This record gives sequence, structure tokens and C-alpha cells, in this order.
Amino acid sequence: MISFKNVNKWYGELHVLNSIDLEVAHGEVVVVCGPSGSGKSTLIRCINRLEPIQQGELIVDGMKVHDKKSNMTKIRAEIGFVFQSFNLYPHMTALENVTIAPIRVRKIHKKEAEKLGKETLIRVGLGDRINHHPAQLSGGQQQRVAIARGLGMRPKIMLFDEPTSALDPEMINEVLDVMRDLAKEGMTMMVVTHEMGFAREVASRVVFMDEGKIIEVAPPN
Amino acid sequence: MWGFYFNELMRSLPFFLKGLWMTVAVSGLSLVFGSIIGFFGGIMRAGRNKPARIIVGVWVDLIRGTPFLVQIFVIFFILPGIGIELDAFPAAVIALTNLTASFITEIVASGILAVPKGQREAATASGLSHYQQLRFIVLPQAMRTIMPPLVGQYVLLVKDSSVVSAIGVVDITRVGWLTVQRIPEGLMVFGLVGLLYFAICYPLINLSGFLERRMTVASTRL
Amino acid sequence: MLEGFNFRIILEYMPLYMQCFLATLWLSGLSLLGAVVVGVIACAMRLSQSRILRGIAGVYIETIRSTPLLAQLYFFYFGLPSMGIMFPEWLTGVIALTLNSGAYYAEIIRAGIQAIDFGQIEAGIASGLSYFQRMRYIILPQALGNTIRPMLGQAIILVKDSSLLSLISIMELTRAGQVLTSERFTPAEGFLTTAAFYLIIYYMLKAFSGWSEKRLIFREAH
Repeated sequence: MISFKNVNKWYGELHVLNSIDLEVAHGEVVVVCGPSGSGKSTLIRCINRLEPIQQGELIVDGMKVHDKKSNMTKIRAEIGFVFQSFNLYPHMTALENVTIAPIRVRKIHKKEAEKLGKETLIRVGLGDRINHHPAQLSGGQQQRVAIARGLGMRPKIMLFDEPTSALDPEMINEVLDVMRDLAKEGMTMMVVTHEMGFAREVASRVVFMDEGKIIEVAPPN
Repeated sequence: MWGFYFNELMRSLPFFLKGLWMTVAVSGLSLVFGSIIGFFGGIMRAGRNKPARIIVGVWVDLIRGTPFLVQIFVIFFILPGIGIELDAFPAAVIALTNLTASFITEIVASGILAVPKGQREAATASGLSHYQQLRFIVLPQAMRTIMPPLVGQYVLLVKDSSVVSAIGVVDITRVGWLTVQRIPEGLMVFGLVGLLYFAICYPLINLSGFLERRMTVASTRL
Repeated sequence: MLEGFNFRIILEYMPLYMQCFLATLWLSGLSLLGAVVVGVIACAMRLSQSRILRGIAGVYIETIRSTPLLAQLYFFYFGLPSMGIMFPEWLTGVIALTLNSGAYYAEIIRAGIQAIDFGQIEAGIASGLSYFQRMRYIILPQALGNTIRPMLGQAIILVKDSSLLSLISIMELTRAGQVLTSERFTPAEGFLTTAAFYLIIYYMLKAFSGWSEKRLIFREAH
């Protein structure tokens, strides 16, 4: 599903990704962890080209992300991305946040998109908040809307960049519960996180990174 | 004597009202065209295309670095030299539109750049195109930051419009200037001129301040 | 048009331009000084305990802000003689520019003072500093840092505004352009040269603004 072949990336002099080789199969849940500055966030941000790579091959669902000529819209439609700071659109309701991409990118009809959007929001436990604005929701609720927004495109892959790091402790579990359910349903996931309990439960493999390199890849133990 | 002049002034009121209408017309047209051009300019100034950013930046700098009076003279007197004959009114609207557009360009660009980077990343991650991002995500949020200075700019526009009287456009200021030739009571005549401008500008200034306070309150609630 | 651009004529008129350039500089400079003084006084009145002082300053500031400079200029130019006061043109011009920019400076200074976090003043009170000590060590230095940029911005505006003095027959940069145009029928050479001189002043002031900001940031660091 996701394939890194000798991927290298530099920020100026800094070698942020060093000879990365990694394969993520369909249905796998891979957790990435490591100290601050190890390059783990950069790693997953390269998958949907939020950050470009300078060397190597990065293939997602058969499509070449590293190729400048690739149709990124098509690739991104298959990838849901959840940010540490949620990045929900404040001027839109939860439902609108979830439906804007399906309507504008997948060109789905508004009524159809809203029906699917409601289902997705119910799935993350926010069926009663579909018309709320982000400002009216707690941190945990906002992040769940963000997950619903990622799922709204019916993607093949879900990427999570430290999804619970910006949350108060009592809200972390509601988000991890949603992620656990997703994993059990067989979604291909890559998660950057410090939550090792979560990793032990659902990850098929854990990738340890430091200073831009993959140090170890192992089943969660 | 003063009483006589006062009566004369009152009899000239229709003339002043015509001038008021002219001020509103010149300002209004420039407001509309200037805003449209300014919005596009702002989007370019805040965009990814470097040459476009630089060209727009140079244009804005030239407008900001020179007096409006000189700009009007350039447009009114020099354009005929390259074949564009202009009456005073169109020249005034063009000059004022140009001036307004350049300032609105900066206002819009600042507003766009003030939208948090994460918003655009989320939109990119969902596959929204550059244009879709601008239309649905960035501009709606930028409007919050843009509104108060935008209204403030409209006030400046009305005040700057007084300078077009220098090429003969018969606006409030010109009416005052013409009137004072036959009613030599400068205080009275330009007191009236000031009053008319005040009537337009004072409410607009308060609107701008109101919008600014509303915006600050709203964002602190977030 | 540019092939016919007659640099010889510009060279011929260069002495006039230099003279007028200096005139613009000292007219603006004098008005700037006056405006800062007026601004400080008006601001002090605006922030004072006395309702009367606040009211007078308020009326002054709102009137200036809601009316165009040109109307204010004509108000003095035609109004003062009708009261029997015969000033030379340049003095009328300086008075108008001073009072105009003075109002804006009053607002800039007020905003700069009110932007200072009240917590700092409380800390000063808590450590036993007197009113004057708090003014000297906490409030004024920060107000200076806050206001340098907008004050230089207003200075740039004032220099551009000085172009309006050409309309009351004062010999400054814009008037030089008018003279060249009327004597030699070359508006391009006339007004573009004028514009170039204004741009020189603009970029010098911009550079000074940048330089002074850097120096101030350094001071705030300790």
C-alpha cells in the first residue's frame, strides 16, 4: 500500500530523512515513534506530499508520490490525514467540515454527501453534534470531527500525526477508541504517537526513528 | 454683512448638494472597481507565483510613495500624450480606483497571510485545489481580518476624492472653492464643506471601529 | 513616448527642482515637528481626567479625521483672511499640515500607550515605583517602541500631503512639475521628475523606519 524506497530528504543542511526503506501492507497498522526531531512527523507528511522528498521512491496505492507529474488530487483523495492541531475549518459546521472535500473533490451530490457525512459522524460518536461549529466542541470532539473529515473521502489509508498530543488527558481515550475501531475494521493506518498502550493493542508493527533514520521495526513488545 | 453672506450661502445649497452627489459618484465608482481589482491584487500578492508577487509589490510601492495629486496629474496630463484623451471625471475615477486598489491589495494580502498555515494544509490533504482552498477555506476566514481596515480604506477614499477637484471635477471641495470666490467668507463656506464630508465619513469611521471591536471579541471567544 | 523623453529640459529645470525639493523637505519637517507637539498635547488632553479637556481634544481629532486635508487647507487659506489674519501662504500651509497630522499623531500615541499590558503597570505599582518612575521606565519606552512605525508611516503621509500646498501657490515639488509643464508643455518630464523626487524621500523614510526598528528591538532585548 505504502512503499518507501531509499527515501532521503533535507531541510537545507539538515538530513531529516535518511535512507528510509519501509513497506506498509494493506490492512496494516504501523505506529511510528521516536524522540522529538527524529523525523517521524516529516515521514508521514511526505506520504501525501505535504512535504516533498528529494531522493528515492515513494509509492502509494500504486501511484508515484515522488513524481512531480503525478495527479496529487487523485492520490490525496485516497488518504485521510489527521493533524495534531486538528485544523478544522472554524467557519463551517462539523457536517460541512466533513462534506466539503467529497462535494468539491469527489464531485458527490450535496444531499448524498450529507447523508454519508452524517453516517461518518455517527460512527465517531458525534451524531448529535453535526451542526455545531468547532468553537462549540471540546478538544476530543474536535479531533473526532477531524477523523470523520479524513474518513469522509472513503480513503484507503488514514494517517495520524500525533493525534492526541494536543489533548487534555481525559479526552485522549475517546479519540484512541475511534482509532482502535478503525484498526479493527481493517483500515490501513500509519500513526505517529507516544501512546504505547495503543501501539501494543492494535499495531502490527512499530517503527522506531531517531535522527532521520529507522532504527528498528518490530512487532509491538 | 455676515448675515447677507449667510443667506447667499443658503441659496447656494443646491450647488453644494450637486457637489455632494459628485463626491459620492466618484468615490462610489472607485470603491467598486478598486475593491474588485484590489481583491485580485491581494490574492496575487499573497500567492505562490513569485514574479506576480513582485510586480504587484512594485506597483503598490509606486502608488504609496507618490502623492495622489501627482498621480492624478500624471493620468490626466500624460495619458493624452500616448493617445488616451480623458475628461476630468473618468481620469479622476481611474486615478482614485488605482489608488484604492493598491491599498486594498495590501489589506487583502495581509488578511490572507493571517489565516493559519494548518488550514491550508488540511485543505491540501483533502485534495482541494488551490482555487477551491482560496474560495472555501482561506478567503472566508481572511474576511474577518480584512473587513475593518477595508471600511477604513473607504473613509480614506472619500477624503482623497477631494483632491480630484484640482483637475476641475465639481465635487464638494470644488464647489466650496468656486463659491468662496463670490462669497468671501472662507470659514462659513468651508465650514459647510467640512460638514458635508463629516456627514459621510464620521459614520463610516464608527462602522470600521465597530467591526474591529466585533472581530477582536469573536476571535478571543474562539 | 520614452524616445521623446527630454532629459535636457529636466536638466535645465534641475535648479528649480532642487530648490523645490528643499522647500518640500523643510515645509514637511517643520509641520512634522509641530504635529508631534500638537499630537502629544492632544493625546494628553484626550487621556486626562478633565471632561472638558477630553471633549475639546475629541472634537478636534474627530473633525480632522472626518474631513479631507484639502478642505482643511482651503478652510485656513480662505478663512483666516476673512477674519482679518493675513499669513504668508507657507505659514497657512504649515498650520494646516500641523493640525492635520497632529490629530493622527494623537491617536497613534494613544494607541501605543493603551497597547501596553496593564499587568506591567501593576507590577510597577506593586514594586513601589511612583507615577513618574512608571512613566519613565515602563510606559514611555514601550510606547516609543509601539509607535515608531506608525509615526514614521504618518510622516510619509505628511510628505505626500505637502503636495497639496502647490494648490495654494506654494513653491514646492509638485508646483515645480506644474511650472515645467505649463512653460514647456511637457507633462511627462514635469510630473514624472516630481514623482521621482517623492520616491527618493519615500525610500529614505522607509529605510530609516527599518533601521530604527532594528535598533529598538535590540534595546527591548535587555
